[in-house]
Amino acid sequence: MKLKNEEELDDLIICKKCFTLHKKVPIKSGTKALCSKCDAVLYKYNKDLPKKGLALSITALIFLLLANRFPIVSIDILGHEQYLTITKTFLTLFESGFFIVGFIVMFLIFIFPFLITILYIMIFLLLYFKIGDKLSKKILVLISHIEPWSMSEIFLVSILVALVKLIGYAQIHMGISFGALIAYVLVDIYIGSSMKLPEIWMYRDKVFDDRNR
Amino acid sequence: MIEIDEQDLIRCPVCEAVNINKGKHNICRRCQSSIYKHTKFRTEKSWAYLITAMIAYIPANLYPMLITSQFGHQEGSTILGGVILLWEHGSYPIAMVIFFASIMIPILKFMILIYLLISVKYPLGKDKKINKHKLFYLTELIGPWSMIDVFVVAILAGLIHMANIQILAGTASTAFVLSVFFTLLSAHAFDEQLIKEYDRG
Repeated sequence: MKLKNEEELDDLIICKKCFTLHKKVPIKSGTKALCSKCDAVLYKYNKDLPKKGLALSITALIFLLLANRFPIVSIDILGHEQYLTITKTFLTLFESGFFIVGFIVMFLIFIFPFLITILYIMIFLLLYFKIGDKLSKKILVLISHIEPWSMSEIFLVSILVALVKLIGYAQIHMGISFGALIAYVLVDIYIGSSMKLPEIWMYRDKVFDDRNR
Repeated sequence: MIEIDEQDLIRCPVCEAVNINKGKHNICRRCQSSIYKHTKFRTEKSWAYLITAMIAYIPANLYPMLITSQFGHQEGSTILGGVILLWEHGSYPIAMVIFFASIMIPILKFMILIYLLISVKYPLGKDKKINKHKLFYLTELIGPWSMIDVFVVAILAGLIHMANIQILAGTASTAFVLSVFFTLLSAHAFDEQLIKEYDRG
């Protein structure tokens, strides 16, 4: 295989799932390229990526704030009313002395979701205004390190499991934050699947290459 | 003009840019992350995390995960005990979810990682029928879901917190959370490039 220079490597892509080498082809905005071997999505192209990304990530932040502000569920047990918020989940663990579990849970369901959402807003703002050549690189690297550790969707499923366990013992009332958490998880999954990091990298390369030329 | 072998092309694990494998120390030309720089001990880091995770998994199953305290009377239940209890009470779907998340997924992940780590050094997986890249992709996908049980314990402990009736997290939750944490680290430390290099010869 012959290449003129290292820059030409940008035209190649290796499938995430099966490691097959592909040559990138230009595609229309709103379409996607699939792997020839395993049909996994290689990349998508969307010319309005920063606009779409900003809209979605700001929505995600609003839902995340709501999800943390109000109780997720409240239960009625033997006449006592008890409620649960996201912060209370790990604060109780701290109170009862489980610092390691509390610490890890705090990062997985509280700090990392906030951090990821704010970083997404920052990266899309930078791309929208076409500034921050170096900073955008750092943010994207940081996102790819944190992303596997943000576990809001798993927390959501856990809430459902916990509530099913309580059926019969207590009366359960869903709070406002439960809806907000569902909305946040859905928006977050949509951001993750419609704007994958390599696609943001591709868009970023295009923005700054055009400007430097 | 540079001429390179197609097999020498590697993918940056952070930004997925295609890079040329130059041997000892590869730095991604796009995001400047180093691409698995430990040439001498390439599987050891992953092994170390994996063994730590497996050791932590033992107390996670022996000690109680959840302690129910009713009018001063404390009762603990282990992971497997909790699953059996749920099954007996007739909540089969929940019992299945907990069983898959806390028992099946961790063990499956241990086995896949052990298989991958051995197969990149010794002729164990010479058969090309198993796509090891897909296997690795699968472990990364299902791995975090084993956190379900820990979250459930944290939620129940946060909700049921009264003078007479209390649910407390047990010792096993610390062990289990450490086990999941180190399994995730082990998967991240695994160098996918090794699969390709071994299959080549």
